[in-house]
Amino acid sequence: MKRYYSIISAFAISSLIVAMVGCNPAPLTEADVFTNSDAVAAMLQPGDSIYHLNDFVATFMTEQGNFLSDSTPYRTRATNGDGIYLFSLDTIPTDTIGIYIRGRVSTDDYGGNFYKSIVIQEIVDGEQQNLRLSVDIGSANGLYQMGQELLIRCNGFSIGRYGDQPQLCVPSYNNNTYASSANQKIGWMPGRIPNGMFRNATTLIGTPAPEKLQYDTITIADYINVTNETEMRKMDGRLVVLKNVYFTGQYEYNGLNPCNTNSPEIDKYANVFAPTTQNVGHPQSRVISDGKNTTLVSNSEYSKFAYFYLPGADSTGIANCANYVGTVTGVLGQFRDNAQYAHDQYDWSITPRNIKINSVCDINDIVMFHKETGEPWVPQEYKK
Amino acid sequence: MKKLFLLLNVLVLTTTLLAQTSLRGTIVDANKQAIVGATVTLANQDISTTTNNAGVFTLLYLEPQDEEVIIEADGYIATIELVQLHANQANDMGEVVLQKDIAREAQEEILLNLSEEDLNDDEGRSQAQASASSASQDVFNSLSSFAWSTARYRNRGYEQTAEQNYINGINFNSAERGQFNFSSMGGLNDASRNKEVVNPLEATNFGFGGLGNSTNYLMEASRFAQGWKVGVAGTNRNYKARVNATYASGVLANGWAFVGQVALRFSPYIDQKNIIGEGIQYYSGGYFFAAEKKWNNGNRLSFVTFGSPTERGQSAAVTQEVYDLTGSIYYNPYWGYQNGKVRNSRVVKSYDPTAIVNYDWKIDEHNLLKFAVGYHYSMYSNSALNFYNAPDPRPDYYRNLPSFLWDGQIVDSNSAQLFDPNENHYNYGNFIGADLNGVGLGMGSIGHDEQWIGPSVNAAQYNHLVDLWQSRDDATTQINWNDIYAANLANNYNNPDGSARYVLERRHNDIQEAMVNIHYTNTKVNHLKITAGLEGKFSQGIHYKSVDDLLGANQWIDVDPFADRDIKELATNAGLSQEDIENVKKNDIASDYNDVKHDGDRFGYDYRINMGTLKVWAQNEWSFNDVDFYYALQLSYSSMQRTTNMINGRAWYLAQLNPDQAALYLGNQADEIIAGAQSGTLHTGATYMGASHHFVDPSFKLGATYKINGRNRLKVNALAQTIAPLARDAYISPRVHDRALYNIYQHDNATSLAEYYAASEKVVGADLTYEFNYPIVRGRLTGFYTQFWDGSELNGYYDDEARTFVNQALSGIDRRHMGIEAAVAVKLGTYFTLTGATSVGDYRYTSNAMAITSAENGMALSQDNNKMPVFELRDEVLLKGLKVATGPQVNASLKLSFFHPKMWFADVTVSYYDWNYLSVAPSRRMKGLFTGVRADGTPVNGWYGDSFANAIETTDGGNCLRTTDANGFPANAVLDANGVPVLKYPYNILSMQESLAATNPLNRFIIDASVGKLIYLKNRQSLSINLSVTNLTNNTHFKTGGYQQARLPRLTRQGVDDSQNSVISPNAWKFPSKYYYAWGANFFLSLTYKF
Repeated sequence: MKRYYSIISAFAISSLIVAMVGCNPAPLTEADVFTNSDAVAAMLQPGDSIYHLNDFVATFMTEQGNFLSDSTPYRTRATNGDGIYLFSLDTIPTDTIGIYIRGRVSTDDYGGNFYKSIVIQEIVDGEQQNLRLSVDIGSANGLYQMGQELLIRCNGFSIGRYGDQPQLCVPSYNNNTYASSANQKIGWMPGRIPNGMFRNATTLIGTPAPEKLQYDTITIADYINVTNETEMRKMDGRLVVLKNVYFTGQYEYNGLNPCNTNSPEIDKYANVFAPTTQNVGHPQSRVISDGKNTTLVSNSEYSKFAYFYLPGADSTGIANCANYVGTVTGVLGQFRDNAQYAHDQYDWSITPRNIKINSVCDINDIVMFHKETGEPWVPQEYKK
Repeated sequence: MKKLFLLLNVLVLTTTLLAQTSLRGTIVDANKQAIVGATVTLANQDISTTTNNAGVFTLLYLEPQDEEVIIEADGYIATIELVQLHANQANDMGEVVLQKDIAREAQEEILLNLSEEDLNDDEGRSQAQASASSASQDVFNSLSSFAWSTARYRNRGYEQTAEQNYINGINFNSAERGQFNFSSMGGLNDASRNKEVVNPLEATNFGFGGLGNSTNYLMEASRFAQGWKVGVAGTNRNYKARVNATYASGVLANGWAFVGQVALRFSPYIDQKNIIGEGIQYYSGGYFFAAEKKWNNGNRLSFVTFGSPTERGQSAAVTQEVYDLTGSIYYNPYWGYQNGKVRNSRVVKSYDPTAIVNYDWKIDEHNLLKFAVGYHYSMYSNSALNFYNAPDPRPDYYRNLPSFLWDGQIVDSNSAQLFDPNENHYNYGNFIGADLNGVGLGMGSIGHDEQWIGPSVNAAQYNHLVDLWQSRDDATTQINWNDIYAANLANNYNNPDGSARYVLERRHNDIQEAMVNIHYTNTKVNHLKITAGLEGKFSQGIHYKSVDDLLGANQWIDVDPFADRDIKELATNAGLSQEDIENVKKNDIASDYNDVKHDGDRFGYDYRINMGTLKVWAQNEWSFNDVDFYYALQLSYSSMQRTTNMINGRAWYLAQLNPDQAALYLGNQADEIIAGAQSGTLHTGATYMGASHHFVDPSFKLGATYKINGRNRLKVNALAQTIAPLARDAYISPRVHDRALYNIYQHDNATSLAEYYAASEKVVGADLTYEFNYPIVRGRLTGFYTQFWDGSELNGYYDDEARTFVNQALSGIDRRHMGIEAAVAVKLGTYFTLTGATSVGDYRYTSNAMAITSAENGMALSQDNNKMPVFELRDEVLLKGLKVATGPQVNASLKLSFFHPKMWFADVTVSYYDWNYLSVAPSRRMKGLFTGVRADGTPVNGWYGDSFANAIETTDGGNCLRTTDANGFPANAVLDANGVPVLKYPYNILSMQESLAATNPLNRFIIDASVGKLIYLKNRQSLSINLSVTNLTNNTHFKTGGYQQARLPRLTRQGVDDSQNSVISPNAWKFPSKYYYAWGANFFLSLTYKF
């Protein structure tokens, strides 16, 4: 009988061992996944430096771009004799001296307006400095959330320009012969940084603190006529609030024209935020006014609220639009798809991150009230 | 008078006995223990019998002559004794000792282990083992079932559903999936050792049988030899160690017998890359208990229960690119480091508690009635990462691989814009200089068809990413638990009430089954054995998801992400209100929108499938001197009905779109649900019944054996049957709605026999066997031919064009399986035996299939010619002529065995495999892709055959795809500087079926070896030691299987006319096939002590 006991106890002991080692590792905590702001300095090697965003751009971005610099430095699209180019690319050295930037994520892609694009904000002497990051990560804000401070080692990446917009990127070869202004685009251009590379270069500093983002209240007049390089740099990517504005119910194409009541599935001039482009994919713009000036609100047809009527608009038209007045918050941008055209005030637009159409996201960048009744605007989707 | 007759009878009998030639003997094992049920055959006179409880046999009325007595018993080495039968005498052989077949015992140990280890994918479809069992006396089966398991050989190329598996007479094939779950007896090697196995199509005594092997595991307590058996084993496979102990009481004086086994198998996480079982932990317990009472009148009562709770990590098939980058066939993308420790994201938990009660009632000498009831509750679940509004966490997600940087980077060199007039050269810039094969491309190479290729980023970036993969950078090549937790913890700040970005969900696929069996045997009529049976089974498949781990998040909100994304279609196409749209997104419309889920909560789907089966069968076996024959008939009734505890928003949406078909989606209570949704009176947790479907299917079987003489036989068998669709294949989108295959409705509303059997698969099969058995050589040769018609199958995949998950229901699949099996065993002197076996088959599709593709989220997939939304795409799948991907169709082995009477054994087996084919994704063979028009007449958006790339032409009456162009190049292939196709990884986008056979013929061989010794100790104790090494030469180039990814790469071109044009991308790297490799050298060492 004794030997049975020994067998039984051997089993009991082995079961216990199995039960003990069978557990998952301890859950990760904030301390495990976020780097304390104070610890950032310790991460750097001697000689490494953290650039302010504007300094970073000024230091590494050249007019023509150094990419393909083994021969003569030239703008990436060096095909046309008149010297007007859409893209530039400058590579950031891969040597061992670390080139870092640091900023707080000011965008969110849940709404669908920022696709594979993150804007980071750094406050220097009370002023915003901003930089766009072009990353090949769908739903990138799932990992790099709004208000999250990032430290990015830029070595090996590039600083490039799409039109007049600087962005942290990698060189990418564009072969889309069907694109508009294709003759300015075929060739190397700013491309998205692959996921693995961006992740390996990026450290999350502290926990997200969207409340630390700075929103500058400005007027439309402050930016629409900016064409000077330095001033453009201050405005592009800036997180701003436009107050006392209303949607005019118009779109801009060779002047301002009223939107119609056609189906947004068919007509790109329908009175919703972003009707279809037949999947060409460029953002759709709708006009807002502060009474003195007009500017564009830019939205993607892939955004969650693309087919929602403009404030005041409905199936009958746009007559009621001007009755809804309020605030539009978003990121300023200067977009040019053809370098050969002169600058225009409608190169500028403001891109809201999201509006509150359901309870999943708390960001509400378009807040309007009826100017007489004070009733808040309730988003309504286009319906067949 | 009666008494007188009896007396006379006895007298006659006695005198006859005295006067007749007879033979008796006692069969014992090495410990002088009687072997019960051993078969004793006289080869020359072709007479056989079995031994009784005392191991004694007696044969009467023999011809006096020299005889070969063949003695066979399961688990022992067959022995042939030569005896001279003296006329009119009672000849006595005395005691004949049979030696334990320890080599076989060792092999079965490993086989059992294999059959459950390979259950890797979610649905259990890839369970590798054709059968973990074999008829021990059949030369072919004993070699094929063990040696060929490495190559995932399947008996005659059939799916596992063709194998019928019984335990104590009860059929344990799942009613839902049609196959047996070997892991239910995981680790219980002793419990599952006794079994009877019947070759395909032959007469089966415990059930009707089927196309494949029929196996009956015999677990009654009296079958286990008295004593203790304790074993330890070590291996480098998925688990590393096993301990087990069995005790059997033997049959006690009071007629009772008891047996119990416990087993433990385990492997902790081993923090080492590129080893077998990388990133896999394995913990498994197992218990088995049986009790049996035998009465003197032959009646028996038996009780058996067993189960093996198991928790184990999984591994995945990956693309060749990933294998090449990591340099290892053992790379496993499912795990990552958490707090410095290995954690697997896919953990299976399984436990199948089973209980069986048998009662045998021996009515009289000729009538035996057996009753059996069984119950088992199979719990099977596996975990997986789900994500919402966050990047895909899989490290081998195609966008994370270097190959993705080549996406779309094939340039039309005829474009004037490519030419740089300033530099006077083509503007290919910094394209990397070599393709993925390492073959030089030049600086941007001109490929076939004047195309230029290169990655989208420059060489430095590309090489950097390649370096990260090659160095197995943890953050790049493994699950990044840090990122996952960071996303959730950050989200807790930004959206404390929002949904987790990542969640570890657990997908439950449970099934409970209750079974009743009645089995009757009658031997009253001379030469005739009548068996008949009734098998009743009620099964319930239980499917739901639960939250396994919130990974630091506050909660998970149960909303379908694809429905969430496509909401604008709901308003524009269906005209739904905002309130309705919120409903559509829900997985349970009775719940609140913000229905938060915490650890353990059910979400996503929660449905059951109730299945009833009732089979009645009868069989007559006639046996005569020269000929035996049998015939059997079965009628099988089966039913299925889906019930759901959640009303999915998309089911409700589809019902809104098609009000006259609401019941198809919402089931029997559609009106109630619609009214309830309107009035807001639905409440969670209620059960809603779907439509039930009923099938009656007949089967007919017959066979004959012609005994040419005692050593040579000819057998012929045939079967014809219809098989109702399995529940797993019957529903188009069971997680969402009640809609079944089109054919099933045809069946439900049948007005003709053809319509009634529209949904059932029809099978006709036959085989012809020649068997021979001489003292030196024995073997067999079999030819078989089976035709299947109207099979059905369900697939699901992510559709790149619709950008959503789609379900694809295939029907009308015809297949033909034919081939030969041959085996021969030759005795070479005293110690050696040479065995050879081969199976050469041709298993192929003989028709095209019909496919209905629909989006899981209910969205329109296309537009018809009138720009109206199309929700179901109907198209033909060009399958005709393709091979069925069920393992190698050529298998051959040569085995040299050594056996020394001092109980040493050793063997070495060399096996060759060929004609193994990749499983084809039907989505890549849609007729519409090649013709621009689907079978239902709707146009295919972005047809492949436009000017951007050449259409693939079809030849052979539209059935066989042309894979080469006029110049003999693979169609649409891109070639490197040497003119070699660069498409090493994907083979081709739309292609002929890929062969899995290794390029180098030497790598099609696998060598196995084993050695063992049984040591008899005093007091009937023994110790056996076995070492088995599989794939001795460490062949790591042997693909055992794989599949084409169903997802088709698409390319969106911005149209010249301002409209989008979506075409199939020539980027063949985007979604290449995934492969499974056979493990390199691996061993299994076991020690067993009996006392």
